[in-house]
Amino acid sequence: MTRIFLSFVLLAFGWPVAANPYVTMENAWVREAPPSARMLAAYMTLKNTGMRECVLVAVDSPDFRHVMLHKSEIVDGMARMIHVDELPIPAQGKLELAPGGYHLMMPAPETPLSEGDRVEFVLTFCDESTLRVQAEVRKKP
Amino acid sequence: MRTTIPGRVIHAIRRIIPLLCAAALLGACAPPEPPQLNRATLLPSAKPLLDFTLVDHNGDSFTLESLRGHWTLAFFGYTHCPDVCPTALSMLVQVRRKLEAGIPSDELPEVVFFSVDPERDTPAQLATFLPYFHPGFLGVTGDAGQITILTRQIGILHAKAEGAGDSDYLVDHSAAIILFDPEGKFHAVFGVPHDPDLLVPDFLAIRQYYEASR
Repeated sequence: MTRIFLSFVLLAFGWPVAANPYVTMENAWVREAPPSARMLAAYMTLKNTGMRECVLVAVDSPDFRHVMLHKSEIVDGMARMIHVDELPIPAQGKLELAPGGYHLMMPAPETPLSEGDRVEFVLTFCDESTLRVQAEVRKKP
Repeated sequence: MRTTIPGRVIHAIRRIIPLLCAAALLGACAPPEPPQLNRATLLPSAKPLLDFTLVDHNGDSFTLESLRGHWTLAFFGYTHCPDVCPTALSMLVQVRRKLEAGIPSDELPEVVFFSVDPERDTPAQLATFLPYFHPGFLGVTGDAGQITILTRQIGILHAKAEGAGDSDYLVDHSAAIILFDPEGKFHAVFGVPHDPDLLVPDFLAIRQYYEASR
């Protein structure tokens, strides 16, 4: 936790924190929600081209108060969301954050987001490397 | 040379024809076969419900009577849900659009979102949530006890998630879509995962079977 906090402090002061050279992002999007929605969800595909597993341990954003990692699951017909501390991306593999599964969950900003808006996420991995992600607000995938 | 039909043949025909007519008549009156369904489960017989008193997002009373006169597709969720509930409502928008292409507008099912989080889902909150998905979708909320009167009759479960202490608590809830028939009875369940290309033909088949059985 101290290492992650230190990374955010360094980022805040513009201190260069190593970008993760192995993880790439595709198709990052935030689902547009009704103006009264209190929580939003973001989705993306993360690919790991490295030979070792990469573990996503935190997500931050200048556009949201905080960002949490969650997993939706439906077990015996019951839908529930589970807070997740970390998400491993297998070596030479990918991790899908998609509706009904893993996703980022954020409190909605005061000014509602609309289709076409862009927001930024900073993903931090267990080796303290980061990945900046631009996501588009959309009504559907 | 005239050909005469033997008397015994005529006698046999006279006995068989009434039997054939009776068989045809019975066949025409036989009950329709239950439909083959993709994802829906049809109740063996539609279940009458005990009444309840809730309120819709326009502030009008919503009771068992509100379910009568039309089919209703019902989903049970909450507006703080960022993933499953918006996904289900978006799916129901697709269902609505596909049905609009096939059946008269006055025969379209109502889509009703029942909140399982009445503490935060006030009528005003629902009024700015449901119309975003479709102007015809209706949000319903009310007293928690009244919501449970309805949900326990149709097998819908809901509860605050463990560790729920702050204002951003999560709610676990059944993800099935419930079908109420025009008599306001619990008629069928659409299980997960929800797919409009499977739900729409299921609904049409159930509706046709219902009409043919009356």
